[in-house]
Formats: sequence, structure tokens, C-alpha cells
Amino acid sequence: MAEFIQLLFNGLVEGSIFGIAALGISLVYSVLRLVNFAAGDFLTLSAFTTYFFSVDLHMPLVIAVLISVVIGVVISLFLEFLIWRRLRKSGAGMLALFLVATGVAFVLRQSIALTFGSNSRKFNIDQIKTFEFLGAQIAQAQLVVLCCASIAITSIAIFIKKSVIGKNMRAYSDSPSLAAVSGINVQRVIIATWCISGAFGALAGVFQGTVQGQFTSGMGLDLLLSILAAVVLGTIGDAYGALIGGFVLGIVMELSTWSAFFGGIPSTYKPVVAFSVLVIVLLFKPEGIFGVKARRI
Amino acid sequence: MNAIMQPGFWIFILTMSGIYGIFGLGLQVQYGVGGILNFGHVGMMALSSYTMAILVISHGINFWIAAATGVGVAALGGAFLGLTTLRLRGDYFAIVSIAFSEIVRYVIFNSDNITGGAQGSLAIPAIGEGYPSYTNAWDSIMNHMRDFLQPIFGDIVNREFVMALTIWSTLAVLLLIVSRIERTSWARVLRATREDDEVPAALGKNVFRFRLQAVIIGSILGGIAGIYWALESTLLSADDFLTIVTFYGWMILILGGATKVKGLPFAAIFFGFLYGGTRFFTFWPFSMVDSAQRAYIRIMIIGVVLIILMMKRPQGIFGKRQEMVLE
Amino acid sequence: MNNLILEVNDVAISFGGVRAVNGATLNVAVDSVTSVIGPNGAGKTTLFNLISGAIKPDSGTILFEGMEIQNLLPHKIADRGIIRTFQGAKVIKRLSVLENLMLGGQDNPGDSLLNFFNPKARNAYEARTRDRAMELLQQIGIERFAHEYAGILSGGQRKLLDLARALMANPIMLLLDEPFAGVNPTLVEKLLEVLQDLRTKHHLTFLLIEHDLETVMNISDRVIVMAEGRVIADGAPNSIYQNQAVIDAYLGTRKATS
Repeated sequence: MAEFIQLLFNGLVEGSIFGIAALGISLVYSVLRLVNFAAGDFLTLSAFTTYFFSVDLHMPLVIAVLISVVIGVVISLFLEFLIWRRLRKSGAGMLALFLVATGVAFVLRQSIALTFGSNSRKFNIDQIKTFEFLGAQIAQAQLVVLCCASIAITSIAIFIKKSVIGKNMRAYSDSPSLAAVSGINVQRVIIATWCISGAFGALAGVFQGTVQGQFTSGMGLDLLLSILAAVVLGTIGDAYGALIGGFVLGIVMELSTWSAFFGGIPSTYKPVVAFSVLVIVLLFKPEGIFGVKARRI
Repeated sequence: MNAIMQPGFWIFILTMSGIYGIFGLGLQVQYGVGGILNFGHVGMMALSSYTMAILVISHGINFWIAAATGVGVAALGGAFLGLTTLRLRGDYFAIVSIAFSEIVRYVIFNSDNITGGAQGSLAIPAIGEGYPSYTNAWDSIMNHMRDFLQPIFGDIVNREFVMALTIWSTLAVLLLIVSRIERTSWARVLRATREDDEVPAALGKNVFRFRLQAVIIGSILGGIAGIYWALESTLLSADDFLTIVTFYGWMILILGGATKVKGLPFAAIFFGFLYGGTRFFTFWPFSMVDSAQRAYIRIMIIGVVLIILMMKRPQGIFGKRQEMVLE
Repeated sequence: MNNLILEVNDVAISFGGVRAVNGATLNVAVDSVTSVIGPNGAGKTTLFNLISGAIKPDSGTILFEGMEIQNLLPHKIADRGIIRTFQGAKVIKRLSVLENLMLGGQDNPGDSLLNFFNPKARNAYEARTRDRAMELLQQIGIERFAHEYAGILSGGQRKLLDLARALMANPIMLLLDEPFAGVNPTLVEKLLEVLQDLRTKHHLTFLLIEHDLETVMNISDRVIVMAEGRVIADGAPNSIYQNQAVIDAYLGTRKATS
């Protein structure tokens, strides 16, 4: 039982990270019809910049995280003006968007590897301190991450629901042409979308670095697949769906290692579990959990 | 500057171009004709090469049977991928297909007892012996061909030369077959589905079957590339089959013009330079960075080429713009 | 009632809580021209999607020649002989006009990969289909575009192509979604001529969605009026004009706007 509680809690923490990252990707898709393959490397980037400012430059961790969030947002906006906006104007198709996003991912990942090398890094935080809860060992770092993630999720939910930009975002993603003629400032919607996605990617990267303990330049890439699985599971383009998909997958992935479950699937197979869940769900509901019926062919 | 003067350099580039050309041709059938975004193509390469190597080394099976089985397993992999996910929307399929290849790689990496896993070899060598090899049969064929060709073409003919020649002959034959296939009404239906799947369906075409067949043919080509890859590298590692390899194929496809096969060999050679060239660039200014950093830079360059290509010339060097953008 | 070719019984479908078709019941007699009219959002095109199999109904049955087809996939339904055209005419823009037409060929041996090794059968079929397609192109008067991308055709020409492509598929019953909308009057004349010809010579059954009431009244044996996902009236063209429910739901609004 203690093992179950432990795994459930681990899953909740991992799920909150997936959820945050997936939300950013899904939001970008809903507004820009772009599956951002580079999102994983944004996670890595923020983990490394946070490391750089907090460990190398001895800044307080909170400041380092804030700077990393700003960096994530700035780079997202930079790419919007340099690349995405032009691609949209030229009417680029799905393949072009996919391949350019991949190209961006390559450049970003290799830049990180060139700058920081291939050694693994570690934040300067107390990794050892744990609390006991129903027999499970709950790390302080995990608790902090879960709290911060919950705050981030709640505030974004309120933002999308209540703020003018949030409402415009939803209107725009429902029907871009209708939103444009009805006087919505499309440019502002797009910029806000990139800001949220950049910031959330950065947060997810720091959280993952914290929970994982050690990380390398491949961290984001390793996570990207599970995050994309969460995005698709919750119906691509549905922000709340992505959150739920993230939590579901985080918990399922952790619980799959439970020894009562056929002795537990080896933890190295977690991403395989994530995608198996996804494929099984898609077999029965090809449009994702929250999608509407698709045409048959 | 020495390396570039050596014929070995050019032969290496040709070999790599040929292998990735066959690989890219597999994507051409899927995307260029059927509009299918398969980003898990490298998984087929992994399946065929590991199947072949395991059958030869661990089970002592004849090389040709093993190679054919390997390609067959790649085709089955394509069928599995298609049957489970090809009914999904295009972007869903793209994501799930990436996952497919990554899962294949994960399983290879973690199945130490069958694949050698992280060690990257299939079996532990006996003391005083080299790693057990799956290339013995192939090597003897290559040697026979070398002995046959040497009196005709002179000393330039070595094992690598024969290998490059074989691969390019294979590519030429496959290009011919594929371009023939693309003139059938089968391909016409697929080209229609690329744009709209409701129209062909309403005319009685089973769109799913056509797409599935395209993925299987593409996977067979990916599988053939995998066999050659295994023969060329002589030692397999799960890291040979990272997702990035799929995008090597995509780069070749787009460079050559996705809708026609004729540009593909040229694009493959261009890619070969990018891929193989940087390894031999040991002179200044490349001597300022070490080989690991050169590998990082190589992938960065590939990223930049992909971005610029898709932004400036999505139809590739040889493609028709009209066929990419016509509204 | 064995002269009914199509029977739609109490069919319903909803999308995300919106009932697009809500218990529609109608039938079509063999060898007839039946028109479906109704305001926008009445569920006409959804009805076509249901009949052609593009979407599966939540409930209800659809019978074609006495057999249930509501669970069949679109290509199976097309194989049975129901061929549809699309609202706004869908052409494959990046195929040539001729290739678009040849797409309609049924039981093409070249569609099977196994026949890759049997070029004789493939080529013979291709030649026949090509001749037939060229013939049709001449009939509809766009043969000069045969080898151009279909994307360059005008809206009216696309409608002709869509119709001709449907004819290539040897239909028993044609579902035409707004075949005359946005087509210039001379072309409409031509289309009507083609339809009449088909009807008398080939005994095709037509079900069409149309907005232009005059045309509908001229060519239809029967008119079905839909509103809000239901059939609200069904009868001979003349009787429809007198139906109060129709006047309220459809004709009234139409008069008000025009």
C-alpha cells in the first residue's frame, strides 16, 4: 500500500509537470495549428539557464527561475517574429510547420549541448529532506514542485476563462477567420499564446530538473514524447484536455511500475507505457478524449 | 586537406548517400504520393537491421534469408503502425509514428539479452577473438566482386568501392520500380487522398487500404536501407536509430522535391556531404573544435537547412512549386 | 412499396450536443428525382453525409435497395452504387482534369498493387477509362482542360467535373449537393439537359439538395423539406407551395430576405 501511495504521489508530481508542458503545446496548437516539436528543448534550456544563474552565478534560486522564464518567453517571441509569422504569411502547410519546428529543436538542442557540454547538472537544493505520509516518502522538492505547478495551473485557468485576451484566445482558436473580422487583435492573441507557452515550458523544465535531481541536454527530448502523448490524449488543441492528459499519463506511467501489477513494468519502459495508453485510447476514440466525431474514410 | 583528396572520402559519402537515398525513397512513396507524414521511418530501419543481425549471429541463419526476414519485419512494423493509427488525422499520425520509432529504439536499448542493449553489440566476443560478425557472408560477396572488378577498373576498386556500387545499383533499381509504381492508377488514388480523402472514398476507393499499402511499401524501402546500414556499420547500436535519422530522410525528400523521384539521388548526395563531409573536416577552421562538437554542429546545420528550405523553397531544388502550393 | 430504392428511417446524429439531424425519415422512389430543400443548418448536407457513409448515425437505419447501409464505410456504399457530389464541388486540384475523371473508374485492376506485375490488364483498363473520360469531358465541354491541373477550373467548371466524375463511377443513385448553386444560367441549362438525359437513358435515381426553388419545382418529382434536422414536409412540388409549415420555416424567410 505504501508503495501504491508513493507511486501515486510521484505520478501526481510528474503529471503536473507533463500537464504544464502539454498545456503550452496544446495552446500553441489551438491558436497557430503548430505542433511545437521544439517544446521539449525549451524545457532543457530553462533547466540549464536556471542552473547557470543559481549555481554558477550564485543567484537565489527563485530569481534564477524567473530569469529563465523570461528567457523562455523572449526566445519564443523571437522565433515567432523570425520564423512562425513568416511561415503563416506564406501559407505553409502541416509538413512545413512540422519540419521547421524540428529544425528549431535541432538548433536549440545542439546549442545547449555546445554551450554546456554533455555532463549532467544538479540544482543546489536539498534533495534529501523527505516527509512521511501513509508510509510513503515524499520529498520536499516534490512537494514544492507540486505546489508551484498547482498555482501555475490555477492561475492560467483563471486567465483563460476571465481575461479579455484569454477569451479572445478561445474565440480565435474556434474560428480564426471569424475572430479576425469581429475585431479581435490577432497579433496580441498570438503573442500572449507564445508568452504562456514559453513561460510554462520554462517552468516545466525547472520542475523536471528539480524532481529528476540530475539532468543532461537530452532531458527535454526524453520527455517530449510523453508530453506529446498527453497532448494528443486530451485532444490536441484542448488546453484543459492537455492538463488532464498530463495527469492521467503521469499517474499511469508511475503506477505501471507497481510491483502488484504483474511485478511491475521496468521503469525504463515508462515512455512505452505512455504511448501504449495513447494508442489504445485512440483505437477506440480516434479524435482524443474530448474531440468531436471525425468523418469516416 | 588530405582527407578530401582520398578516394575513400568520396566513396564513404556515396555509400551514405545511397543508404539514405533508399531510406528517403521510402518516405517519398508515403508523403510524395500519399501525403502521409511518417516521422517514425527510422523504426523500420532499426527493425530490419537488428532482425537480420540477430538471426545471423544468434541463430546462425543464412544471411540472405536473414536479410529478407529483416525487410519483412520492417514491412510488418509498417503494417502494425498503419493498422493501429492510420485512421487518425494527419497530425495525430505524425506524432504517434515518432513514438513508434522511439518505442522500437527503447525496446532495443533495454533488451540487453537479445540485442546487446546499451553495449551496442549482439554478443560478447570470446577471449582473443573479435566481436562476432553478421557480415561474413556479405564480405565474401564483396571480395568476389572486388576481385572481378579490379582487373577492369584498377586499384581504386576495394571493398568500400564495391559496397558503394552495390548500394547505388540497388537505389537505381528501386528508383525505377517506384517511378513505375507512381504511374499506376494506384498512385493516382493515393495522390488524390493526399489532398482530400472524402472524394476518393465517395468514389468507392478504400482510402485506408491505399494508405496502408503506401506505408508498407515505404517501410520495405526503409528496411532495405536498414540492411545496408547494418552491413556498412558492422556494429549496431540503438543510438544509430534516433528520431533524427528520420529527419535526414525528410531533408533528402524535400530537397529533391517531394512529389517526384528524379531529384532524390542528387539530394541524397548533397546530404551525404553534409553528413559524411563534416567527419573528415579535420583541417582549419574545423580543427578548432573537437569531434564531439563537430557532431553537434553537424546536426545544427541540418536544423538550419530544414528551416531555410521550408521557408524559402518548400518544393525543393527540383520540385514544382505549383504542386506544393496550388489552391 | 418495393419501388423504393432508399429508405431513411428515424435517423439522428449529434455533434458535441448539437442535433444536426434529429429523427429524419424519408424515402426515394426508383427512377425519380427527389429534391431536399430547407434553410441553412436544416441538416441537408449532414443527411447526405449520413447516406454516403461519411458519418455514422447515432440511431436509425438507412436502407438501400432493401439492405441496411448505415454501418458501411463510404467506399462500400459507393460500391453499392450510391455516388455523391460535394457542396461547392470538390475537385482534386493537384491532379489533372482527366486524372480527376479517371479516379471515378470502378474495379480498376491498376488500383491493386498485385496487378503491378500485370501491366496488360492495367493498360487495357486505363485506355478504356481514358476514352470514356474524354467522351464525358467533350459532353460537358471542358475537354480543352483535360491535361491541366483541375485547380485552375472555375467554380462552374468544377461542378461539371464533379458531376462527370460521379458518372464515371457507374452510379445507380446520385446524391447531388447543390449542383446548380453559383453556376451561370447557360451551364445550368446544360446540367439539366445532362440530368434529363441520364434519367431517361440510364434510369438513374437522383436525390439533390438545391436552393433555387424554380429549378427544384421544374425538375423534381418530389420535394422533401427539412428544418432543424427534421423532415417537415414531403410531397409533390405543387403541394409543397401550399404547406403552411413550409411557408413558415422556409419560404417565408426566403421571401423576407430576397
